[in-house]
Amino acid sequence: MEPITWTGSFGAFLNPLMLAAVVVFFAGVVANFAMNLVGLRAGEVQINPDHTLTINRTPVDYALMAMKYSVLLFLACWALFVIGGLTLPEYEQKGIIGAMGQRFLPVWIALIVMFALSIRFKRKLGLYGKLFDSPIGMVGFGLVMFWMFSAIFADLIITHGPIDVISQMRNEVPGSFLPSPDEGDFPLYILGGDNLGRDVFSRMVMGAREVLKIAPAATLFAFMVGITLGLPAGYFGGRLDTLLTFIANLVLAFPVILLFYLLVTPEIVAAGIPTAMAAVLFLFPIIFFVVLWNSRYHMQPQKRLLYISISLVIGFWLYSGLAFNADPLGIISMPGNILIVFVSVVFVNSPTVFRIVRGIVLDIKTRDYVAAGQTRGEGPWYIMLWEILPNARGPLIVDFCLRIGYTTILLGTLGFFGLGVSPESPDWGSTINEGRRLLTIYPHPALPPALALMSLVLGLNLLADGLREESLKD
Amino acid sequence: MLDQAPETNAVVPERYDGPILEIENLSISFFTRLREIPAVMDFSTKVMPGEAMGLVGESGCGKSTVALGVMQDLGVNGRIVGGSIKFKGRNLNDMSAEELRKIRGREIAMIYQEPMASLNPAMKIGRQLMEVPMIHEGIGEKEAWQRALEVVSDVRLPDPERMLRSYPHQLSGGQQQRIVIAMALMANPSLLILDEPTTALDVTVEAAVVDLVKDLGRKYGTSMLFISHNLGLVLETCDRLCVMYSGEAVETGSIEDVFDKMQHPYTQALFRSIPLPGADKNARPLKAIPGNFPLPHERPSGCNFGPRCDYFEAGRCDAQDIPMSRVPGNDRHETRCLRFEEIDWNAAVEASQSTERTEKGDVVLRVENLKKYYEVSANKMFGGGETRVVKANETISFEARESETLAIVGESGCGKSTLAKVLMGLETATDGHVFLDNLGIENTPIENRDTGTVSSIQMVFQNPFDTLNPSMTVGRQIIRALEVFGIGENDDDRRKRMLELLDLVKLPRAFAERMPRQLSGGQKQRVGIARAFAGGARIVVADEPVSALDVSVQAAVTDLLMEIQRNEKTTLLFISHDLSIVRYLSDRVMVMYLGHVVEIGETNQVFSPPYHPYTEALLSAVPIADTSVKKQHIVLEGDIPSAMNPPPGCPFQTRCRWKKDVPGNLCETEIPPMRTLAEGHQIKCHLAADILDRMEPVITMDAD
Repeated sequence: MEPITWTGSFGAFLNPLMLAAVVVFFAGVVANFAMNLVGLRAGEVQINPDHTLTINRTPVDYALMAMKYSVLLFLACWALFVIGGLTLPEYEQKGIIGAMGQRFLPVWIALIVMFALSIRFKRKLGLYGKLFDSPIGMVGFGLVMFWMFSAIFADLIITHGPIDVISQMRNEVPGSFLPSPDEGDFPLYILGGDNLGRDVFSRMVMGAREVLKIAPAATLFAFMVGITLGLPAGYFGGRLDTLLTFIANLVLAFPVILLFYLLVTPEIVAAGIPTAMAAVLFLFPIIFFVVLWNSRYHMQPQKRLLYISISLVIGFWLYSGLAFNADPLGIISMPGNILIVFVSVVFVNSPTVFRIVRGIVLDIKTRDYVAAGQTRGEGPWYIMLWEILPNARGPLIVDFCLRIGYTTILLGTLGFFGLGVSPESPDWGSTINEGRRLLTIYPHPALPPALALMSLVLGLNLLADGLREESLKD
Repeated sequence: MLDQAPETNAVVPERYDGPILEIENLSISFFTRLREIPAVMDFSTKVMPGEAMGLVGESGCGKSTVALGVMQDLGVNGRIVGGSIKFKGRNLNDMSAEELRKIRGREIAMIYQEPMASLNPAMKIGRQLMEVPMIHEGIGEKEAWQRALEVVSDVRLPDPERMLRSYPHQLSGGQQQRIVIAMALMANPSLLILDEPTTALDVTVEAAVVDLVKDLGRKYGTSMLFISHNLGLVLETCDRLCVMYSGEAVETGSIEDVFDKMQHPYTQALFRSIPLPGADKNARPLKAIPGNFPLPHERPSGCNFGPRCDYFEAGRCDAQDIPMSRVPGNDRHETRCLRFEEIDWNAAVEASQSTERTEKGDVVLRVENLKKYYEVSANKMFGGGETRVVKANETISFEARESETLAIVGESGCGKSTLAKVLMGLETATDGHVFLDNLGIENTPIENRDTGTVSSIQMVFQNPFDTLNPSMTVGRQIIRALEVFGIGENDDDRRKRMLELLDLVKLPRAFAERMPRQLSGGQKQRVGIARAFAGGARIVVADEPVSALDVSVQAAVTDLLMEIQRNEKTTLLFISHDLSIVRYLSDRVMVMYLGHVVEIGETNQVFSPPYHPYTEALLSAVPIADTSVKKQHIVLEGDIPSAMNPPPGCPFQTRCRWKKDVPGNLCETEIPPMRTLAEGHQIKCHLAADILDRMEPVITMDAD
């Protein structure tokens, strides 16, 4: 059977429309640029004596308007393809885009529900609610949540197992039908097959799960380490600060890729260095929470005991599972190769977080409310964790989003070099690496994970921008 | 400088005899996503050549917006929605960006509050000054340098050559502000706009800068628009003034008319809420203006001041927009009040309840020969390099009794904050003793003090916007203080106590759930006071608690502090540089200079001769908003020396005007001893007794 087309039966009229939208958009860009060169400006808002506003539209305004509507038209075409994919019965009619849209149905539903609820209650949701005032932040958040939901619903979305091989499908182009599908099998490889005959689409979706399992958690750990060390460095200053800053600089100065190669070297793994590093790095969250509760409740012994013991029990349970793969209950485990990736990512990210936290603390510790805490006899850790840290949250949240993006790229890089993760893992970096070899002949196995990686990181950056913009407003 | 060849393509005429600035019915609004916010409404004023016009009002009243409107620099959201601004007869609203550029800096110059923000830190001062005439008049580099030199000596800076070759950060705040003034004068503008030019400076430096501005105005014949919240300062600098309230001019006229024959209830209320010489916290308490400043989008109909006005008449004052009306008989005196002819302006202030003078109790706090030195080393990491010693406090001795208010007066760098830190236990003393009820605490840092000691000495901070943690509710912050001080058996107990504390500082109980950003400055300061009294503090160190607040709010917060003090028998250490308020509320005054106590005594002893020369200068420097007060004119030369490198001998000898009356070079070689002049009145000065006796009072009231 012939492979299905990209756009299916809607393509006949939507394709020219999309093309027109693109042409109009670029014509608008060129016209706008030219008009700006000759000195035409966008119309300004005039205020009439009766306090109404008037805008005198100039050609520049019309060019901008045309660009805006062409973008909307372009997006509307995509939406139509997805709707087509959901409604039309045959795969030939849906097209590849439509088929993908249909597979992502759980994601669309989740996104629509989440956006509807968030916008409805945005005035009650603090900074998260304010995000929905910023178009850029909304786009970013949408992209991030798209991949987040894809990772969550991956089992519903994938069409074939990520490591299932159908050897006839090797390097088949997108939209190819299976040669002899069994009963209940999905009849085609939506985005084609890779050089071993695995489904590129399913691997991309499962890759989201692999990446999002590690990146946010690793970033969170990096933040715990950075915060726990950055707070005292900035607050106490002096020799402690000098020492910690020096160590941070040392780590930052070491070439990252070289460090990874060293960490995965069998001799080093055998010497137990990654495990030792994990043992140290994973201790920080426990320290963080114990100090957090202790400083807050030190004059209420019962509450202190309760909170600290809860933190210790949960902390050490997770600790034993994550760092030593020795969870007594057998629920939490981390395979050795993932542990190495995790440890290396935390290790190279925490110095940067350390420096950011230290800088913010240096600024905030001069405030009067810190002095007020000191004059009522608060301990230094209370002041650091309860007076300073909450007020540093703005820049930290923004950096957290950006850093998940860096970590995602770092994971991609690691996967690309075949470090850490298992060889047949569907994570995006490894997939791109495998697709790279035949890139000139068959670009389709390498491109989808690359685009996925790009859109996730773009989404995280836009989200960070939106958060930054909205947190500055009041 | 005046005979520069006039530019041929000047936008406005070089010579113009009509009003320099004529603003008619100006309205300015800011547009947000939600609504239009009117910032200035129906504002009219006229500035004649050589005239200095004062613009007075509380923060948020629109006075700076008027200045920005004149500069046509309202940002993206601001728009002039009505009226005209004529500069030398030409309407600035109609000018093109090109024409405005020619006028800004050349014809109209502006001086801002923060000098460091107006200077480019990466450029030498000479370059920055020379740029002005080089851009506006296209003159050569040599000529520009000459002119810069001239102007820098005009603003009375020592060693102009060196000044021109230095970077802004190498100068002190006062010197920087002089450079900013010099820069404004470089183009010899016709109109100078000064937006709170001295707020960031110390009083004695402020006095010198104000003096300079006045002289320069006279010398160059420049018209001035002087924006300030300080009525005393406007009295000293301006010929006419305009009082603004909530976006409107409420009263305008000559200084004498407005100060002595005010015709608007707001002006009257404003004057009643600032302490004037002769006011006393027991006999005549300050009268705070009731209510709050209306938000721009919540202004009442009719008179904006109506809801807070004593003379409000329902159905009349809130019925229509109120126009400015002429006060007959006076020179260009106008008021925005419907009832100004009916109100008896000379009626005595309603005798607000006067209170008993509280009895002083036992000595609670005794400080003996306290010294605090800091070591500053050049290189922290290796501990090498030279170490230099900052002598922040030198042999400070005083005692404070129960229910007493001891004011600590001095300018920045005098060591008052260090003293507060040592008392609080944030620093330990280098030498000397601090006794709290005979318990020596000078070497006990706060972490080693027991809860009782910590809660006994508490502090109220200066900056209301900084004193509360922005991410914790008000109630939570007070409860935390209660927790730390071990008050209350359980959470419910503490919550009850917290609500009582809110009652104590006269805040509604609903504020417990509010976040600090939802509170006004005065309300935040009240929460700060509640927090300080949470543990039943016996000594409260108040570090300029009201200096960042508007005058009408200042009175209310000061009164609250006094009332709590009376009820709780607290010892109040009131740190301030504002001598009017110190005179109003303190029982005893301690004057500090460069880490030394130079004078200490009962309030009336300190405020009347014989003075320490520094006290004398301080008294002269404080602007007083009363036309009947005559002051001796004493201007201190130079800046406060650095505590890192204090002068030998008497700390004040570098700026003292009495130095010549001390025989020999005693002042330069020996630190004067503390001398007792009268019971409880001590000064640190070498001046002979007969010279001290000859000193004349700095402040005298006209005998009317």
